[in-house]
Amino acid sequence: MFDFFKKKYDNPMLAEEMRQTQDRWFAFLQKLEERTEEVCEAAIPQLKEVFEQDTDPYKRAHGRMLAGLLGQIRQMRQKANEVRNEKIIGFIYAAEAEFPGINSSYHDMLYKFRQACYDRHNVFEDNEQRYEMLLQNAAGEQDLETPYRKLLEEFESLRDRFACTQCSGNITIPRLFFIATYVTCPHCQTQNTFHPSTEAQMVLHNARALAEQRTAHLLKAYESGTPKDPALYRQYLRAMFDEWNSIVPDMTEENEKFHERLLKDQQNYHH
Amino acid sequence: MSENPLLAPIHGITLEDYSAACAKMGNGLSEDAIAKALGVELPVWQEVSLLWPERMKQDETFHIVTLFGQHFGAADQHPILGNLQPDASAGNAGNVERIKNDKAYYQELEVARQVAYEYGVDGAQWIADEYGISIGDFQIAAMNWGDEIRKDMQTDFDNYNETQAAYQEKYRKQFADAQGGDVADDITF
Amino acid sequence: MSDENKNKMLSYVERLRQKAVDQKNYGGEVNKEDAKIDARDCPNCGAGRAYRDGLTNCGYCGFTFMQVKLTDGIHIKKENNS
Repeated sequence: MFDFFKKKYDNPMLAEEMRQTQDRWFAFLQKLEERTEEVCEAAIPQLKEVFEQDTDPYKRAHGRMLAGLLGQIRQMRQKANEVRNEKIIGFIYAAEAEFPGINSSYHDMLYKFRQACYDRHNVFEDNEQRYEMLLQNAAGEQDLETPYRKLLEEFESLRDRFACTQCSGNITIPRLFFIATYVTCPHCQTQNTFHPSTEAQMVLHNARALAEQRTAHLLKAYESGTPKDPALYRQYLRAMFDEWNSIVPDMTEENEKFHERLLKDQQNYHH
Repeated sequence: MSENPLLAPIHGITLEDYSAACAKMGNGLSEDAIAKALGVELPVWQEVSLLWPERMKQDETFHIVTLFGQHFGAADQHPILGNLQPDASAGNAGNVERIKNDKAYYQELEVARQVAYEYGVDGAQWIADEYGISIGDFQIAAMNWGDEIRKDMQTDFDNYNETQAAYQEKYRKQFADAQGGDVADDITF
Repeated sequence: MSDENKNKMLSYVERLRQKAVDQKNYGGEVNKEDAKIDARDCPNCGAGRAYRDGLTNCGYCGFTFMQVKLTDGIHIKKENNS
């Protein structure tokens, strides 16, 4: 394969081979980058549309499409890795095995070749990861606030409209429940079971995510610190849990135990 | 038995019951069917299924999560829920049996499932469609093979890696062909 | 970028999109249901279940609604045992 190594001490062919390999490597990575850009350009507006049109509360059609696109980027990164191993690292190993000593001028040349090829690959990796982020963020954040506000309004208008299955007396649902809950008829004391709407059940499912959206600026303040200030992290956690508890007050007791645990984790593992 | 307060039954439902119930729901059993089988009403069951995960979140030792995995894997042996099947099960009994007894078969399908996602296909649905194995049975197998696969990795990592890579190549080719190739097929060094 | 490549990528993305949208969601679609209220009468004697009698047994004939021992949960508490 690398026949030119046979001629060890004066080998213009080797220099030429290095130059050509480097050029091909650069061109190959650039083509992959351009292809990624083409895919993303075509995909991003469509990803947005699919997200907006996806009536599934878990947005699974969007999830499948996104996974497919990320799979193609992964495939291109793998392709680059395979070529790097075979054509670049393979070349370097073969060359190193043949060179007479570290003082050879080829050594310096080879060092530069390796550095240039690795640097270019790092740039490629950074670019591909940037495209992955673009795809992941294309649809934007799911708006959890609007459906939550809408649900609260609906609940206010609906909460008095239930009747006891035993005596038909009017039952007011005391507060927004997120799971099936027994409610006692104030007239005949019968235990009725209130089943919340699907939307209300989703609030419980999304409560933490909504609380995180509301306090994202505090997490950002913590994460952008150099060095990171643990006090800011605790401040974020407290605010996030306050929001979480305000969305699903019935879970406050359990949430607070989880909050305690996160504080302990921070002490044990991070400081 | 253990005095760990985090392991105390919730409304009489033990961690073993809860774990088996999760596995069975993965096989398509409804909450109503689970609650009925366990002899509780829906409001009781829904509190139970909210509170067991809370216990896991509170447990710094990961003991409860570990036990959950063991009980989940043993769902078929649960005295009440073990034989419970959804009404309209499209399962393939032979494959369900095989994935629990044939490690290589499980490992191959696990790779296939992941590759499916990479090609925009819901892997869980694909496994159900192609092999008649629901996600509940698939995860039972995953829980039960976990320790052995970790040991295999420790004893012969290269062999493990080669096998995984071969499965990946097989299924990536299959899914790529089905979508008319990968987007960068024409780009070569 | 060339128009040919642009079109190729557009058609790839459109096919992927169609495939993503056409697949059924695992476990079926999420059915949106409205809030509702119901109650369980004693299947044995037909009596309603009053708060003071607890949730687990019928206050009139002793029928067992639930075999379990209720603990302190979210809304349901120990006091709700019959």
